[in-house]
Amino acid sequence: MREEIVTMLLQGIGETLYMSVFATLFGYVIGLPWGVALCITGKNGIKRNSGIYFVLDVIANIMRSIPFLILMIMVIPLTIAIVGQSYGSTATIVPLVISAAPMIARMVESSLVEVDAGEIEAVQSMGAGTGWIILHVLLGEGRVSLIAGATISFATILGYSAMAGTLGGGGLGDIAIRYGYHRYDTQIMIITVVLLVVLVQIFQGLGTWVGKKSDKR
Amino acid sequence: MAIVEVKNLSKTFDAAGGTTTALNHINLSIEEGDVFGIIGMSGAGKSTLVRCLNLLEVPTEGQVIVEGKDLTALTNKELREERGRIAMIFQSFNLLQQKNVISNVCVPMMIQGKKKSEAKKRAKELLELVCLQDKARSYPSQLSGGQCQRVAIARALASDPKILLCDEATSALDPQTTNQILDLLKEINQKLKITIIIITHQMSVVQKICNRVAIIDHGEIAEMGEVEEIFTHPKSQAGRVLVIDGTQEVGTSDRQKAVELLKEKKRIRIVFSKNSSYEPVIANMVLAVGKPVNILKADTQDVGGVARGQMILGLPDDADAQEKMIAYLKDHNLAVEEVQA
Ligand SMILES: Nc1ncnc2c1ncn2[C@@H]1O[C@H](COP(=O)(O)OP(=O)(O)O)[C@@H](O)[C@H]1O
Ligand SMILES: [Mg+2]
Repeated sequence: MREEIVTMLLQGIGETLYMSVFATLFGYVIGLPWGVALCITGKNGIKRNSGIYFVLDVIANIMRSIPFLILMIMVIPLTIAIVGQSYGSTATIVPLVISAAPMIARMVESSLVEVDAGEIEAVQSMGAGTGWIILHVLLGEGRVSLIAGATISFATILGYSAMAGTLGGGGLGDIAIRYGYHRYDTQIMIITVVLLVVLVQIFQGLGTWVGKKSDKR
Repeated sequence: MAIVEVKNLSKTFDAAGGTTTALNHINLSIEEGDVFGIIGMSGAGKSTLVRCLNLLEVPTEGQVIVEGKDLTALTNKELREERGRIAMIFQSFNLLQQKNVISNVCVPMMIQGKKKSEAKKRAKELLELVCLQDKARSYPSQLSGGQCQRVAIARALASDPKILLCDEATSALDPQTTNQILDLLKEINQKLKITIIIITHQMSVVQKICNRVAIIDHGEIAEMGEVEEIFTHPKSQAGRVLVIDGTQEVGTSDRQKAVELLKEKKRIRIVFSKNSSYEPVIANMVLAVGKPVNILKADTQDVGGVARGQMILGLPDDADAQEKMIAYLKDHNLAVEEVQA
């Protein structure tokens, strides 16, 4: 294979990882508190509040039902306001975060509602407040499930970042579109797809391994 | 002054299918140093009552006064502080599964904001008290049920409580382990001067460590008093069923069985208590009267060489023999009462 193609593929991997990692990170900055709020205001939560739950729930549902490509176009003004341009890897992080956050919130919620109510009650009986319970019981005891959720989120975001390539987002998706779709270069397209699969495999394996390691049950 | 006073406490639950009255105007007074039993059948309202004592469940009506403070009148923050003085252990232990034993014991001290090094030190002492110092680095999943409950007890003691609430703390354990845990609780009561409130459906638990007991039935206190007295002469229907079928879990079918047991002919219940004698009294009675009896139920334990517990005897039809037998038993310091359904 020609050297420039290898360089291009390596750069593609770099961009894909850059977008996915930062989008996951910022996604959690928004999605984690969101998911915690969903959990504690929900039906069996420690701060039940059907009004707040309803609002958070509806927003998550609406945002999750918008297809990613359409969302990407919709948020272009916001992307330009934040990043200064609407194309390239950094710009793609904005719609990635917006689309990942509600998904992450749901993932976090479903991990946390599984935490044993008895354990929560026990620390409440010792006088623990809401903050302590969130930090040490919900997040601490829900850790394994949270890690599994993070792995799934990352793989999903990686897939989205490839999709973003169709709109000039950079990364492996961008290469696949340019060579495979516009130039009928099936070989390069297949290579990028294989690389995407390998990346997902690596992170899935890593996530599973970390999750297992940290599970003391 | 009583350490825990419950005044006119009621709790109703609103559900889609209508309201349930779990507790109906309960009044209780528990003295400092008591090992107080609250016994009742499944669904009687025991858990709801004990959860009202630290306000995990907010009463619909009434007051819970602990050490002179009305818990229902405290602010959230004051209540959280007060909970440090009222520890609780549970049927399912409720240890944090992802933390090791010593970290679990540290939890109440972390909540109270103690320094980590101090907490660790105290936790080690507590683990010694419950004989688990060698399990400090283990995780709950690696321990047996009895060991988990010991960790839970050590954890409960970590906040230096004055009161320990136990909700069916031994119900998930086998009889031998149950006895070990009860011995430990007794020791804690005596050495550390902690008032213990025990919720259970097993009369044997109450008999073993409680000095006072309240019988709860359908959300109401059916009767209350010294354990010895209630065990010997239960007055309420719920009390009789619990006492007579005391060693087993009393569900509706067991209740039916206990009622069946009390039908038919002349039956007496005798109670072996503190002052019962050493001799094999039933055998001697049969020899003395010259007529056989039917032992319908025997539930006695050997306590220091003396039988403690109860028996239900079916007497021969002969009225004269019946009288002689009852007289014989009374002569031997046994409490005798006729039983009927
Ligand atoms: N959170 C709840 N919501 C509705 N009903 C409840 C709730 N907790 C308890 N109850 C009802 O209150 C009654 C007493 O329950 P509980 O205190 O758990 O009994 P026990 O511990 O003696 O078995 C039962 O009829 C039960 O169904
Ligand atoms: Mg119960």
